[in-house]
Amino acid sequence: MDPYLVSVLSNTGVISFVALSAYLLLLTGEVSFGQQAFFAIGAYAAGIATAMWGWPLALALVWSAAAGAGCAALIGIPTLRLHGVYFAIATLAFAEMVRILFELLRYRVEIDGQLVGPDGTDGFRDIRYIFDNNIEEFEFLVLIYAVLAIVLLGFMLLERSRLGVMFRMIGGDATLASLQGIAVARYKVLAAGIAGGLAAVGGGLYAHLTTYVEPRIFDVMLGVHTLAYGLIGGLGTALGPLLGVAIDIGLLESVRIFAGYRMIIFGGLVALLLIVRPRGLLDERAVHKIGQLLRRATRGTASMHDSTGAEGRTKGGLQ
Amino acid sequence: MIDLVQNTIDGIMIGSSYGLLALGFTVIFGVMRRLNLSYGPTIMVGAYFGTVLYLDYGAGLLAVAAAVVVGSVIAGIYVERLCFAPMKAGAGIASMVSSFAIWMQLEQAAILVLPRHTYPFPAIGGGAPIELGPFFARTDHLIMLASSLALAAAVQLLLYRTRYGLGLRAVIANPVAANLVGVNVKRSIMLAFAGASAIGGVAGFLVLAVDQQVTPMFGMWATLKGLIAMIIGGLGSIPGAVLGGLLLGIVEIHSQWQFGPQVRDLFAYFVLFTFLVARPGGLFGRVPEDGLSNRA
Amino acid sequence: MLDVSDLVTAYGKIEALKGVSVHVEGGKITCLLGPNGAGKTTLMMTIAGILGPRRGSIKLAGTELVGLSPARIVSRGVALVPENRLVFPDMSVHENLLAGAYQRNDKREIASDIERMYARFPRLKERHDQLAGTLSGGEQQMLAVGRALMSRPSVLLMDEPSLGLAPIIVAEIFDIVAELNRDGTTIFLVEQNAHMALKVAHQFFLMEQGRITFQGTPGELAEDEVIQRAYLGTRRTDQAGEESGR
Repeated sequence: MDPYLVSVLSNTGVISFVALSAYLLLLTGEVSFGQQAFFAIGAYAAGIATAMWGWPLALALVWSAAAGAGCAALIGIPTLRLHGVYFAIATLAFAEMVRILFELLRYRVEIDGQLVGPDGTDGFRDIRYIFDNNIEEFEFLVLIYAVLAIVLLGFMLLERSRLGVMFRMIGGDATLASLQGIAVARYKVLAAGIAGGLAAVGGGLYAHLTTYVEPRIFDVMLGVHTLAYGLIGGLGTALGPLLGVAIDIGLLESVRIFAGYRMIIFGGLVALLLIVRPRGLLDERAVHKIGQLLRRATRGTASMHDSTGAEGRTKGGLQ
Repeated sequence: MIDLVQNTIDGIMIGSSYGLLALGFTVIFGVMRRLNLSYGPTIMVGAYFGTVLYLDYGAGLLAVAAAVVVGSVIAGIYVERLCFAPMKAGAGIASMVSSFAIWMQLEQAAILVLPRHTYPFPAIGGGAPIELGPFFARTDHLIMLASSLALAAAVQLLLYRTRYGLGLRAVIANPVAANLVGVNVKRSIMLAFAGASAIGGVAGFLVLAVDQQVTPMFGMWATLKGLIAMIIGGLGSIPGAVLGGLLLGIVEIHSQWQFGPQVRDLFAYFVLFTFLVARPGGLFGRVPEDGLSNRA
Repeated sequence: MLDVSDLVTAYGKIEALKGVSVHVEGGKITCLLGPNGAGKTTLMMTIAGILGPRRGSIKLAGTELVGLSPARIVSRGVALVPENRLVFPDMSVHENLLAGAYQRNDKREIASDIERMYARFPRLKERHDQLAGTLSGGEQQMLAVGRALMSRPSVLLMDEPSLGLAPIIVAEIFDIVAELNRDGTTIFLVEQNAHMALKVAHQFFLMEQGRITFQGTPGELAEDEVIQRAYLGTRRTDQAGEESGR
């Protein structure tokens, strides 16, 4: 495969994790401009694990997910009482604090006569796990998408599960949800933790993909971008944020003619899209309609097996 | 001791510009209950407008100032028409993301017009700093402080002593009720936006004149400073916005003096976070009941 | 005075008003009664211009109001005292009254009108400096009425003025309604409290599920039937009997 394509697809895959992270929080009704903090935590944690402690990649990714989830849950508790704009700004403040802390972090060990580790604003170089283990770029791409596929499966299951319904109920109206007996606080912290873990896994993969991370990457821009992906691609399904990422990175990155005007065009298009589709392309209504179409198509084949047709008759009587 | 007071004085000076930025922000947020992420970038458009006039046409100080204000207002109305006015109720998040998209758009447009990383900007005031006993105050800092306080006082007067201000406060309190007493809510909102942009333009001009340079980073910088100061002071409060700005300036200068620029920013965000968690209403604001939700 | 003809207002696909026609006679008190969800508030909001109708017309002394902005409708002389009062909580009583006169330019007349409000509502005068959000329900109701009156409307719309108020206060409010009408204001009043409303009304309409189901004067219909239909809607036992196969 063309190495440029591999690179673009890898980036798309990695960013998707953070996009899904922001999306999960949006489901519970909260806007977060700060998921890039957990992306950073995951990147540094995984990088430190493989490059400095000699851990295998799989373990490093688990560790980074745990670190991200843990930090997210911890931060989720004091911010429970905040909503809307206040919560959003709090996430922004938190993420910037994390970024600055990474700018101040200096933790290096000597490995084979060389100093390896995060070095403040100069970043963290030589995360060379995939080189040291002879992993091809294409193989890593497969790994990224394998993990992403598992995550997507998780989301599909979530949408159909009681937990997913509860998340959406909290997102719809938290007061109403708590009146129904839902422990809103507990589920919000849970959602925050899962979201943090998701972004962190993405960060861990990202660190190994690029072999080098620096705090500058994890800025407010990234945070708002990841939120925007869900809003553009659609909030009706987990595929929405992925669509948003694909549109931004995939389409416009590879269409070089737009180079200098990319954001001017893209920004304008997004603004116009949001006027007509404030919840994105694949919003809840679109997903519902697609679901109906699919069900009608499959019911066409199923009705041949329907023996009595009694279903049709009783429906009329219960009007 | 002398350092402490001198730093506090410098902090107040810088903080007065933060206060103006917060002022514009708080007017928009009060009226819309939505966050305008394009606030700083629209001021940057004005700044670039003024810079072009300065560099290519040798315009004088007042003309540059006027250009900055006019540019900010035009950009601000553009954002209002595209990102806020067409959104239905409940689409607050869409407005925020839309304003972010336009932020990106404006930033790239600015870089296309003036591609270098930094450009010179005219200075205000001049000559030796004024001595007040053992302390110093730069003349341009003093001009900035005086202008900021004067503008804030003017806005306060406008809001509390004029009929237009009464109408705007009615819109802020309850847009439906405002409609029912005969206020043209849509026009009030647009005018508030324009006014907030104008205030931002003045703030931007003052900051850039003191810095004597303009960079494309100015957009995000202005948004963040205004946001932090607004939260500290309390949303919807004009004295709060000014005081929040002053407080932020003082915190920043002191922490920069002690610990350097990174810790300075760290402290600023820490103060912001603490206020949000402990006292979201800020110093003077009242936490509006519906302002906490995403139902705006 | 105020003629609503075949008004249809919808929220998306749901029609809240299904062709409503109401005639409010000048100088009289007209009441609109009906159960919750009947569409009474929707009708008020449509007349005030907050909601736009799909079809139909609203004429004030012959001039069409549909399509005008709420601010324009106020300038034509229609003022609404909304459901739940909607006073401006952070403004003082005085400022709320001043806001009611937003469109007027005659400062001296405005000042004397405010004095007149204080004379009519002495409790508001006591609290003229107080923030409206700290007033009791009854006081807020009086403030909302006073605010609406400041625009010197020819038609005063009132949406459930008795909502959430103690019976004594409700009686006071209805005394004020009667008094305003005696002084010449045309009043169109929406109420759930049918008993009090029928005491002051010259004519009344019954609205159920977006349609007018009765119009007439108090006395034409037995009061308990009115109250029944106002709270519960038309009795359905006959219809159910047909369905079960009689």
